[in-house]
Amino acid sequence: MIDAVLVMNTQGKPRLAKFYKSLSPVKQQEIVRKVYTGLSSRAEHFCNFVEADEIFGAGTKLVYKHFATLYFVFVIDSGESELGILDLIQVFVETLDSIFKNVCELDIVFNFNKVNTVLDEIVMGGQVVETNSTEIVKSVQEIFK
Amino acid sequence: MALSGMRGLSVFISDVRNCQNKELERARVDKELANIRTKFKNDKGLTPYEKKKYVWKMLYIFMLGYDVDFGHMEAVSLISAPKYAEKQVGYIVTSSLLNENHDFLRLVINTVRNDIIGRNETFQCLALTMVGNIGGKEFSESLAPDVQKLLISNSCRPLVRKKAALCLLRLYRKNPDVVSVDGWADRMSQLLDEREIGVLTAVMSLLVALVANNPDAYWNCVSKCVRVLERLTRSQDIPQEYTYYGIPSPWLQVKTMRVLQYFPAIDDPNIRRSLFEVLQRVLMGTDAVKNINKNNATHAVLFEALALVMHLDAEKDMMAQCVGLLGKFIAVREPNIRYLGLENMTRMLMVSDVQESIKRHQVQIITSLRDPDISIRRRSLDLLYGMCDVTNAKDIVEELLQYLTTADFAIREELALKAAILAEKFAPDLSWYVDVILQLIEKAGDFVSDDIWYRVVQFVTNNDDLQPYAAAKARDFLDKPAVHETMVKVAGYLLGEYSHLLSRRPGCSPKEVFSIIHDKFATVSTPTKAILLSAYIKILLHSQTVDPELQNHVLAVFRKNETYLDAEVQQRASEYYALSRKGPSMVDVMAEMPKFPERQSALLKKAEDTEVDVADTSATKLRLMQLTSTAVVVADQKPANGVHPALTRVPSGQRNIEAPTVPVANGGQSPAPVDFLAIEAAPTHSAPESSPLVGPGDSLALALMDNQASTVQIGLKAEWRGNQGRIVLFLGNKHTAPLLSVKAVILPPRHMQLLTSNVPDTIPPRAQVQCPVEVTNLSPSREIPVLDFCYNNSSAMVSFKLRLPVIMSKFLQGATLAPADYIARWKALMGPPNKLLQEVVRGVKPLPLQEMSDLLGSLHVAIAPGYDPNVNNIVGAATYFSENPTLCLVRIETDPADRTQIRLTVGTPDTSVALELKEYIKERLVDIPSGAAPTSLPGMPSPADDLVGPAASLAGLI
Repeated sequence: MIDAVLVMNTQGKPRLAKFYKSLSPVKQQEIVRKVYTGLSSRAEHFCNFVEADEIFGAGTKLVYKHFATLYFVFVIDSGESELGILDLIQVFVETLDSIFKNVCELDIVFNFNKVNTVLDEIVMGGQVVETNSTEIVKSVQEIFK
Repeated sequence: MALSGMRGLSVFISDVRNCQNKELERARVDKELANIRTKFKNDKGLTPYEKKKYVWKMLYIFMLGYDVDFGHMEAVSLISAPKYAEKQVGYIVTSSLLNENHDFLRLVINTVRNDIIGRNETFQCLALTMVGNIGGKEFSESLAPDVQKLLISNSCRPLVRKKAALCLLRLYRKNPDVVSVDGWADRMSQLLDEREIGVLTAVMSLLVALVANNPDAYWNCVSKCVRVLERLTRSQDIPQEYTYYGIPSPWLQVKTMRVLQYFPAIDDPNIRRSLFEVLQRVLMGTDAVKNINKNNATHAVLFEALALVMHLDAEKDMMAQCVGLLGKFIAVREPNIRYLGLENMTRMLMVSDVQESIKRHQVQIITSLRDPDISIRRRSLDLLYGMCDVTNAKDIVEELLQYLTTADFAIREELALKAAILAEKFAPDLSWYVDVILQLIEKAGDFVSDDIWYRVVQFVTNNDDLQPYAAAKARDFLDKPAVHETMVKVAGYLLGEYSHLLSRRPGCSPKEVFSIIHDKFATVSTPTKAILLSAYIKILLHSQTVDPELQNHVLAVFRKNETYLDAEVQQRASEYYALSRKGPSMVDVMAEMPKFPERQSALLKKAEDTEVDVADTSATKLRLMQLTSTAVVVADQKPANGVHPALTRVPSGQRNIEAPTVPVANGGQSPAPVDFLAIEAAPTHSAPESSPLVGPGDSLALALMDNQASTVQIGLKAEWRGNQGRIVLFLGNKHTAPLLSVKAVILPPRHMQLLTSNVPDTIPPRAQVQCPVEVTNLSPSREIPVLDFCYNNSSAMVSFKLRLPVIMSKFLQGATLAPADYIARWKALMGPPNKLLQEVVRGVKPLPLQEMSDLLGSLHVAIAPGYDPNVNNIVGAATYFSENPTLCLVRIETDPADRTQIRLTVGTPDTSVALELKEYIKERLVDIPSGAAPTSLPGMPSPADDLVGPAASLAGLI
């Protein structure tokens, strides 16, 4: 399952943080920090997976993608396919792109509420709920009508 | 740039963004929080729009990492608002801000239910999403039937049904009973006929969870899953929107293949045949393409197919094909594919008959060991470790050693440990083994635990041929510049024992050996000094002709250390001094160490133990274990205080959950005295307290497995709500023999009602049984229930008593009152009749005010800072739950001039509660004499433990 979805910028500022396991706020912040430290030292051509046993428990991994000033990070356990999650990040970003027209960090900062809703339409309770970008855009628009 | 559509929110966000530094940001956030707090307090005038705006702001602040401890009620209440826009915000914010244990959630169960069964689709979706994200047990009980109805309904749109599927999954996870096995197997099978891909994907996720728990019940789904795969791989009837870069829903393909891995084996020849056709098709279509996203998707499917093929134990040809593919993957430049190639090849090692073909890729795998990316290096290391055997051990271990010099810190420890294990397991000859370990100490001394060098000593002592070789090697290593202390220890020990075998070689006269060792004496730690002193006397007495110069020198060293600070060194120095003055007649006393009895290596035993645990489990668990099994020895970074990592959850920081474990020594002694080592400590002396045994912080934590004393492990997990609690005791047999006549009886104190379930009479070897206990608190008391546990460990009856952590604070919950309300209640308690109990407590542990306030907070009393005008006072409130909840007010007045005394006041409408609570708090504040361990205090775990969890709550043995 997906344990958490984080979006943060290259300075480590969280832009979206959604946890699917119940964790105290303190712990959540600690995780955001650790994830950032783990990712910021990685070169661009490295693989998109980082083992996260020390951050999130045994068998967990970070699957991340770096777009311009943002990291999109999914924390997953061994029940998910790494490449499948990478595809899902792509769907997430493509959906944001079609909602905000050329999405950039500022869109996400000022519309964090909408971004939250987009994520809710893609992932629910740690499981993939929809992968069809058109469908996601449609339901988000319905919610923000 | 689009704005949020709420001016106030946008302004606030830009303000925060414009803050130059963290302090300014905090100031801005605090200001906003104060503003929201006031707005909510006099909420009569808030328009729905304003409410919405503030709740969004709260979520934003929460996301930035600030604690938002109020306004939850406002967020939750928006869910019940009639207007759409408010409801929407309520649902979204609630599911981010609150967690499943939050009491406010209970208040909206009805509204949520109405939304779910209502006709408004958007409301249905919002409600299902929230429950799917944070629904807890109570939601499970009240909503499951409605959610099931939505899932199987023909009239609902796919949009709602897919959410219902995942919502049901959440409810099922919280309470497996909500999905009855009988009826649902057929329903699931019908649901798999679904054409809509979105719904099918969600249903497949649900099926994974159901099958994982009970594969037998869902056999009828296997053929349907294969049919789904056929449809996808043939691209039949797949709408364009559900293809991703031309691949028919890779997610659904992956999920479906994942489900199939949860069924033990698929025997039906027809199903098997069609499944293999599908898999064959996937394995063939692997051409790399330029588009990276398409490439990812193809490979996602492909890797899952590989995993399924391995699981199904396919024909030889197909396995060979898989190994061939993996060989290709680990050679590509694309790092993701290479990473997964290495990982899957490691899994492949579990399949019989392919090891040989994997070995052919050794060179390629070693290349990845030098990749700049640590993720890839780790995978490569794991694979090399897994594929190592007698035929390639020399190559692989030498490769690891070479890499050790350049490896970064993050991987060194693992590397050193793996090299040591492989060297011991597959050494073609012992001198090579000695070489490897000495090199290991030279290159990564910090990561070579004492067990590793003890093991070398054991081998050398038991093999006469090896002794001169090892001694000569040790001498060579001491010559190098910058020798690691572990090297000094092992070399000192070996030279002390065996340097006389070298005495004819150049540079190895007793005098020379002594002086080369003694060069290090000044800079090493005390335990090492003790080893060296033993070496000196051995060198002196083993030499055939007494060299007066050497004797004088050695005697001088002993003399000098007779006044050394450490008792052990002192004792050795004076005894050796006396012994050596008696001359050659003492040679027998200082004879070589006798052979060690054959023992299993601590390292190997540890490695094997983890392999045993891999035995048949569900696919994911198996995958997980396969992944970690090779990394296990370092993964265990818990200090060797006996807390078994598998049972210990990270303390979640909320009030209601804990899962501590304590080891229980056989026969009820204190759990401390442990034979840490599989071999004897090296020095001639039996002085365990100062000889260099493994320290408690040793990263290997070998005590866990090797400690023969701990046959039984008792873990505990508890949840508390109001005056009720649910404890689950985990009784684990760590032994290889069954535990017989097991009895676990809990003696409840009078004020508590306990419902215990039966414990089986026998606990099989290495098994664990769970014993749930329901607790109801009836009246205030500080008494603690005691678990009386006894069993027969095939030689004797053992019994002991454990106090259970059902302490008073479990039934306390912080209560937040407005200042005016607080004061009014305080006054009311002042009476008449006076219901405030007051006591001046002396001998209090002198704590800074903040710590004392934290301590009170840890007892679940909500501190109300600023309510008391005197800054030296702490006030707070809590609700105590027994048959009736009682509000308790607490005040501590401290004296800045004398921190060891306080005045403690506790007030409640019910004085019996006040009395107990006052005593309870007092016990925690009173100074604990140094030296007494917190657990030895009668009847109470220390308050700090109460906070932290693991080490704590089962307070000590009686």
